[in-house]
Amino acid sequence: MDADLTWLDDPETFRVNQVPAHSDHRGYATVAEADQQHSSLVQSLDGPWQFAFAKDPMHRPRDFYQPDTDRSTFHDIEVPGHIELAGYGQIHYINTAYPWEGKHYRRPAYAMGAEKRERGMFSTDPENTVGAYVKHFELNQTLVNHRIAIEFDGVEQAMFVWLNGQFVGYAEDSFSRSEFDLTPYIHPGDNLLAVEVFKHSTAAFLEDQDMFRFSGIFRSVRLVAKPALHVEDLTIRATVDGTLKHGHLQVETTLSALHHVTGHMRLQLLNAENESIWSQDQALARTVTVQTTVAAPRLWSHQDPYLYRLQIELFDDHDQLVEVVPYVVGFRRLVLQNRVMILNGQRLIINGVNRHEWDAHRGRAVTLADMHSDMQVFHKYHINAVRTCHYPDQVAWYTLCDRNGIYMMAENNLETHGTWQKMGVVEPSYNVPGSLPQWQAAVLDRARSNYQMFKNHPAILFWSLGNESYAGDDIAAMDRYYHDADPTRLTHYEGVCRNRAYEDRISDMESMMYDPPAAIAAYLENDPQKPFINCEYMHDMGNSLGGMASYDALIDRYPMYQGGFIWDFIDQALWCQDEVTGNQVLRYGGDFDDRHSDYEFSGDGLLFADRTPKPALQEVSYYYGRRD
Amino acid sequence: MDAGTKLKLVYGDVTLGVSGSNFRYLFAYDRGGLESLVQNGKEWLYRVPQPAFWRATTDNDRGNGFSLKSAQWLGADLFSACTAIAVKVDGHAIELPIAPVNNQYSAIETAQSVDVQFTYTTPTVPSTTVTISYHVGADGQLVVRSRYRGVAGLPELPAFGIRLCTPTLATGFDYQGLSGETYPDRMAGGVAGTYHVAGLPVTPYMVPQECGMHMATQWLRVTRETTLNNADTDTSPFELTIRQDQSPFAFSCLPYTPSELENATHIEELPVARRTVLTIFGAVRGVGGIDSWGADVEAPYHIASDEDHEVSVIIEGPVASPRG
Repeated sequence: MDADLTWLDDPETFRVNQVPAHSDHRGYATVAEADQQHSSLVQSLDGPWQFAFAKDPMHRPRDFYQPDTDRSTFHDIEVPGHIELAGYGQIHYINTAYPWEGKHYRRPAYAMGAEKRERGMFSTDPENTVGAYVKHFELNQTLVNHRIAIEFDGVEQAMFVWLNGQFVGYAEDSFSRSEFDLTPYIHPGDNLLAVEVFKHSTAAFLEDQDMFRFSGIFRSVRLVAKPALHVEDLTIRATVDGTLKHGHLQVETTLSALHHVTGHMRLQLLNAENESIWSQDQALARTVTVQTTVAAPRLWSHQDPYLYRLQIELFDDHDQLVEVVPYVVGFRRLVLQNRVMILNGQRLIINGVNRHEWDAHRGRAVTLADMHSDMQVFHKYHINAVRTCHYPDQVAWYTLCDRNGIYMMAENNLETHGTWQKMGVVEPSYNVPGSLPQWQAAVLDRARSNYQMFKNHPAILFWSLGNESYAGDDIAAMDRYYHDADPTRLTHYEGVCRNRAYEDRISDMESMMYDPPAAIAAYLENDPQKPFINCEYMHDMGNSLGGMASYDALIDRYPMYQGGFIWDFIDQALWCQDEVTGNQVLRYGGDFDDRHSDYEFSGDGLLFADRTPKPALQEVSYYYGRRD
Repeated sequence: MDAGTKLKLVYGDVTLGVSGSNFRYLFAYDRGGLESLVQNGKEWLYRVPQPAFWRATTDNDRGNGFSLKSAQWLGADLFSACTAIAVKVDGHAIELPIAPVNNQYSAIETAQSVDVQFTYTTPTVPSTTVTISYHVGADGQLVVRSRYRGVAGLPELPAFGIRLCTPTLATGFDYQGLSGETYPDRMAGGVAGTYHVAGLPVTPYMVPQECGMHMATQWLRVTRETTLNNADTDTSPFELTIRQDQSPFAFSCLPYTPSELENATHIEELPVARRTVLTIFGAVRGVGGIDSWGADVEAPYHIASDEDHEVSVIIEGPVASPRG
């Protein structure tokens, strides 16, 4: 198959030749590697790549991926990173309206009629910037002779991939991992990986988050070797019954083999003291499902984020260890009881924040140090929950939440408010995804990627269908997907309040953003059918966060009021050199001649953009601390 | 009574000078206020204190249109004029001692106490008045009191207080009150204690705005090391201490006026910090937080313009202990 640029225009083409989404577990060659969480089966491709920038698809270097192409004009660029922060392409911040506002008249394909295909919208877009990336690599010895996959953790917003001149695949969904099988294309010795990144595609309509609009390979890239026996997918269900005394563990694995799936698997459950409390050997098969009971498991919660560890070892017919897969296990029980969300027998109170990934030097290409720093802030100020607004975060953040007992509302990558909210008015005349069949597969894929990748994280209590995308059959299909896939968690969708026709089909909780306390009380006084969560509240823009007492008071008055997520965790601004003084200063929307802009509207954090705390944090600490 | 414990009064043609041991205060008739507050040889006032009505627009103020609605108070903050002055000596009102009335006095005039009251009239429609009165005791203690007269027909007040501006920057301040930056609707998290703040930090909100409020304060001590006096080469720290009178007060101590903050769209646009702008507040409007595009500050945290407001604090004399 050849790459086809018009995929950019087609909402029904969003993944080509990608490996199906699966659990984010990691395979190791030995138990020692697993203990150190350093896999010899992984080869990072982060670091310098070669790069050429084009202002639009017509000016892009067309054959740059061919091994014999002259790339002497290419420059170095650092991966991961945003193209705009590397000095190519204009930095732009805009909230609701689409980034082409006032520059191009656009309606999403099919939104104005089945015949309105809108071909050429992005493939011939004169402002659709293109990044041509190449990376030479040789496989590390430890990867040689294995099947090789490549994982892109985040590429914004559409990419084509080639290896050694051969087309590998295509991906959209900037914030979900895209994985391709490189085995058929890989050479001994030098390999030439080429990635062509387009700033816009039909995915742009689905990724209208209130944020700086960037492009590029902004998260890590790595090669992953699959040994002769490999755990392709893993589903862990660690539950406890209503008495909270009888734990149940179910582990389902899907395996692949270089030749044949034969041999045996050893599963072990270890406690935090590294003592094995259960183990079982099992003959290998394509899928293996194992269950066991665990008496009086120590439950996972914010107060006590106790984690067991599952260790899966795959042995071949000669009893040689081939692959080790460890994964954390947290036993817990989340149920709706009398319309109240109950975790481990206790009413759940969410003392949460919305968190965009942000680093004032690096944009959304956040570092592990950023995440550790954020987690310290959560602890210090009694924040117990996070909504991954409005896209999946880097994997490491979910692991940190598991370990630190932070409840997660795991949101898939979706926001379309520009198609239905215009100058603050609900006006869904060209809303996507709506009930358009041509857009349903794309948004379902986003839900699937989110669920499949993160399904084993104990920290996740809720799947969130995205943000501010109105409501229709497509959103309802996402809700159904999450429920069909996962009986152990609840779904959330803010748009439940926007189109009541769908309220029974799109969220297990009533969710509003920025409702005043009195309006929430009115909902809770009038025979509420679902528990209430503020998916966004206490808009901490500038000097704000007054009046939190009124929200806090609802907790004692209404059992079905279960807290919320403050908007938001950190200001989005960028360190720049002042054009007058030369000093380093923080700049925001409009400071790059970017128009239309929403200027300082991205400064709503509990932290300033440089991660120093805003004064209001002590207020959050007080009210959240009372409920901690 | 020992003459040494009495105030020395100088009935000047332009000012009323009041002095004692290690202090001298000048009340200026032409400037319409306390022009000079010198303790231990150090000047504390750059210009006469003024009524404060404005706060630099917060993001929430902009979002809910409060600045538009209350814009008259920006004019009042900048342009209110002194329209009346009254003087009492030892509790007795005297005819304003300007020329030629002051010819009745001598070079040796003393008193136990002096009261000077300035009345400011706002350029609002309708207008109202604010008084700032100073009671000077024999030890140099100043009781400063301001009263706002409520009238119907004016927008809600962004702020109400007394703004003092020092000739040079403070190096920091100490206070007993609540930790951090607090507002009436955001002070539950403030922890009571005694705090030192180094320098005069402007909270670096992305767009400069109202900041640095400290509610429920018992006392405040501002420290400086420099003056504008060319003959003064001493750079050792010196202090001014302000204590609550009847009840705790709110204050902010910043290097900028609300207008200077208002003008900047980024922190780096603020002018070079030169002075200390100390505002003692009698009423503080909440900051709000429900949203930033229309939600009002909750009702209990508004400042009604048709009700009277008052604030009073004690500026300690030069020898008093700060924690007295």
